[in-house]
Amino acid sequence: MSALRRMAAVAAVLVAAAARADPRPERGYGLPHDASLDGHRVDWLIHFTIIALGIVFLAVLGMLVYAAVRHRGAHVAAYDHGNTRKSALVVLGCVGIVVVVVDGNLFGHAVDDLNGHFWNFSKVEADPRTVRIEVNAHQWVWTVRYPGPDGRFNTPDDIVETNGLHVPLGVPVILQLASTDVIHSLYLPNFRVKQDAVPGSITRLWFQGQEPGEFELACAQHCGPNHYKMRAVLSVMEPAAYAQWLADAQEDARRGFDPDDAEAHWGWEWKRL
Amino acid sequence: MDAVLEERGGRRGPAPVRDLEGYRAATRARGELTAYVGMLVFLASWAMLFGGLFFAYALVRGRAPVWPPVGDPRLPLVLPGVNTAVIALSSGALQSALRSLRRGRPSPVAGALALAAGLGALFLALQVAVWISVHRQGLLPSGGPYGSVFYALTSFHALHVLVGLVALAWLAVRASRGAYGAMRHVGVRLWAMYWHFVGAVWLFLYATVYLL
Amino acid sequence: MATHPAHLGHPELQPIHPAPTSFVRRYVFSLDHKVIAQQFLWAGLIFLFVGGTLAMLIRWQWAFPYRKVPVLGPLFLRSTGGVIGPANYQNIFTMHGLIMIFFAITPVLIGTFGNFLIPLQIGARDMAFPLLNMLSFWFFLVSQLLVIASFLVALGPAGAGWTGYPPLSTNIGMPGLGQTLVVLALFFTGVASTMGAINYITTVIRLRAPGMTYMRLPLTIWGLWFTAVLNALFVPVLGSAALLLFLDRTFGTQFFIAGAAAVRGGGDPIMYQHLFWIFGHPEVYILILPAWGIVGDVVSFFARKPAYWYKGSVYAMATVTVLSGVVYGHHMFVTGMSPLLGQGFMLLTLLISAPAMLLVFNWIFTVWRGSIRFTTPMLFALGTVFVFGLGGLTGLFLGDISLDLYLHDTMFVVGHFHFTMAAASFLGTMTGLYFWFPKIFGKRLDERLGKAHFWITVVGLTLVFGGQLLAGYAGQQRRLFDPFQYTFIQGLRGLNRWTSYFAFALFAGQFLFIWNFLRTVFGRAEAAGQNPWEVTTLEWTNTTSPPPYHDFDVIPEVRRGPDEFENPAVKEALGRDWIGQAEEMPEPPASEAGAAKA
Repeated sequence: MSALRRMAAVAAVLVAAAARADPRPERGYGLPHDASLDGHRVDWLIHFTIIALGIVFLAVLGMLVYAAVRHRGAHVAAYDHGNTRKSALVVLGCVGIVVVVVDGNLFGHAVDDLNGHFWNFSKVEADPRTVRIEVNAHQWVWTVRYPGPDGRFNTPDDIVETNGLHVPLGVPVILQLASTDVIHSLYLPNFRVKQDAVPGSITRLWFQGQEPGEFELACAQHCGPNHYKMRAVLSVMEPAAYAQWLADAQEDARRGFDPDDAEAHWGWEWKRL
Repeated sequence: MDAVLEERGGRRGPAPVRDLEGYRAATRARGELTAYVGMLVFLASWAMLFGGLFFAYALVRGRAPVWPPVGDPRLPLVLPGVNTAVIALSSGALQSALRSLRRGRPSPVAGALALAAGLGALFLALQVAVWISVHRQGLLPSGGPYGSVFYALTSFHALHVLVGLVALAWLAVRASRGAYGAMRHVGVRLWAMYWHFVGAVWLFLYATVYLL
Repeated sequence: MATHPAHLGHPELQPIHPAPTSFVRRYVFSLDHKVIAQQFLWAGLIFLFVGGTLAMLIRWQWAFPYRKVPVLGPLFLRSTGGVIGPANYQNIFTMHGLIMIFFAITPVLIGTFGNFLIPLQIGARDMAFPLLNMLSFWFFLVSQLLVIASFLVALGPAGAGWTGYPPLSTNIGMPGLGQTLVVLALFFTGVASTMGAINYITTVIRLRAPGMTYMRLPLTIWGLWFTAVLNALFVPVLGSAALLLFLDRTFGTQFFIAGAAAVRGGGDPIMYQHLFWIFGHPEVYILILPAWGIVGDVVSFFARKPAYWYKGSVYAMATVTVLSGVVYGHHMFVTGMSPLLGQGFMLLTLLISAPAMLLVFNWIFTVWRGSIRFTTPMLFALGTVFVFGLGGLTGLFLGDISLDLYLHDTMFVVGHFHFTMAAASFLGTMTGLYFWFPKIFGKRLDERLGKAHFWITVVGLTLVFGGQLLAGYAGQQRRLFDPFQYTFIQGLRGLNRWTSYFAFALFAGQFLFIWNFLRTVFGRAEAAGQNPWEVTTLEWTNTTSPPPYHDFDVIPEVRRGPDEFENPAVKEALGRDWIGQAEEMPEPPASEAGAAKA
């Protein structure tokens, strides 16, 4: 590939990146911007639960405040042990309503969300568009491995990247996570997902980016003094830009491959989990 | 306080007791039952601690593709099997001591207790022999999960045997001085509960660590 | 159960021992449950102050990162020039959590109230095993000394979070003596807790006064008893986790070491999490059950109304106790757990909210149509209901796996457990302290200072932990030395700074209590009288303030439950709205013998 064409490609990527701006700062006080396919389910459930529980809490608080105002001092107390069947049913009824409406709703949606959208890995693995990436979390850096043209991991054509993750727009991306030292946790606030990277195990996580841009990837498990700096940038790219990046990265990988560097060959054959 | 005294017509204390001797016996029995309840709770706690350790063992073993892992020496079966018999006999000796006490025959008690203690010491000696033999074959605590589990479980159990046998020896000494009688042997019963518990843990350990 | 009232009252069964005379036997190596209770109280309050100071350091770091800490910086942070650095930051939040849970709340809420109240409220002279009781305090003190020692070693104390997950807490992540000392301290305090639990359980089962049936026990005793059951069963599991971690650190075993350092496949860090949380989840109920019991009694006492559906409250506490061991997996949803197992834990976790809600409703219905007296203990009890209600509800979000994928390890979790543990347990503890202070010390705390303390505390707690919930909702992770390295958190600088300001104010407000407490204990104050609150339980009705060495001159005979308020027959016969548990109802006048029911 000619140097000129490559420079143009890099410039195009930079312009696209500048147009999006770095991981966008949030205004605070609210959920981070949702850039994912399924994140809205989480948002909906949180807000519904806040409203439902808010109503319950305010009702109970209202009773407490009313009693504090009207049932004090000179007010004569009622001699009521509350141990009749009717009293018990009233209490159980109140508990029952909250449990059915709130707990039931939470449970039902969670089962649906998990089996259909967040942990439905077999469906994602079967999807022909799915992009597979391996992530090795270690103190205090995210190292990322792409399979390269041969589609297999830990082969000479793998692309390895540090503190950056590039994925194409609008297709499922599935990550397998490992760690060589302590437990870390890969967290994508803008995608509402998180999964631990545990030494001695392979865990997994999938998401789909619905808009191009740069988003933050954070570590969410205390992993030592520099836990706070274990940050990476996820770039969700338009197909053209992604293809360009991939081509460039493969070129670099081919040139940079060192058969004697055993530490760099940390990849594993994609696990059938 | 004054209100209570008033109600009792100025009388302090309860109504007088007629059968003081029988009352004293009932009192002692009542106090002993308290000690047994306390010992039961104590043993439940220890059971949970051992339970945590065995749970860890189950998880370690469940994860391993093959057990024992490739390259680790196999554990002996004979000596630990002998140990099972030893500790069972020791519990038996302890039970015979209790039976003698209950029947009001104090003379064999010290001997039975000493036998129980001695068998406990034999158990420890054999356990040390097992450790030495296994160590010589290359199984170390730091050599991987197999060694870790084996040494952790057996040494923690052995520690409990040591505590028990010291207690039994001390009980034997006291029995030889006539400290215990048909109505006065709470200490022996309490330590018997402990000793049988330690024996039961051994049975479970032997089955799951050595046999399975 | 107790069938021989004459026997139990007989001096030989619960003999009145002569009180010890030497200073050492009276105040140092004392067998008296009341003295041991005070030993736990002072030890606990001192460490509560230390834990609070550590919290102030965390809040300073988030409000003013990289700036020198005033006063404490030059004293304790010399190696980093008076500034908090990443390495000592992790020590600070680790020790804050450990100290608050094990060395502050536990000794005061469980050690003090359990030891002081159990014999007195059930009508006994002391615990079943006084020597074991004394030993439990001394084991606890040794564990506190080990904690202090860990601060003094070269590489500092533990730094892997109070949860101490390996491999970070093994030699790989935390080399040095500090972490090992803390693991040992945990073991010792676990032994102390278990010893105490054996005593509490046995004493309540065996030493209740005649007529004190289980269903006449004050709710405080139920709370303490269920706590003791959980302590007895689950602290040993922590012991097993601590033991295995100790072995990994000291003898090179491989229970939890995996990854690069492991030999022959290595261990499983997740196994530690199983063992830890099998203990850890019951632990949070251990820290709240006594508060639930105390609040249940206090709201009844000061609403002058029987505790609403007393049996329901007891069953609710029992249900929570039973379920607490099977919900622990909700701490581990994102560790790669099987979805089926996860959903099972989720179901149980959502269900355990039901008995907790039942308790809250019972408290509300107790207060409803009462005749409320707003004493300081009542204010704190109502405050506990408020913060526990709020905190408990936030737990529902975390029990839902799809929400937990987002909220796990964010400040939302921190806000949730601070509301339920720091706020509710703390306010419950304060309820107990203000309520039983007159009985323990024989004097009365200043009511005005108490009320001021209440308002600053409850408003402060709500603002501080509410701020944490908001930060977590916005996605900020926990345990970050400098959260603002992340672009998505930069908008939260203001929120974090204001939360810190509220935290500083909250801490400052506690000096109202410290001043009130110390001045009353060590200075002159008006005598409390035997039953200043006019309530019904045995420690108030049948003995002095403070009680003598032998607690009761006469073992009481109990006739009714602890919440006989506003009974019309009592009002008519005695002219007041309460009657003590052991009080005899006077015979109705002969002319009304046929008509009246006592």
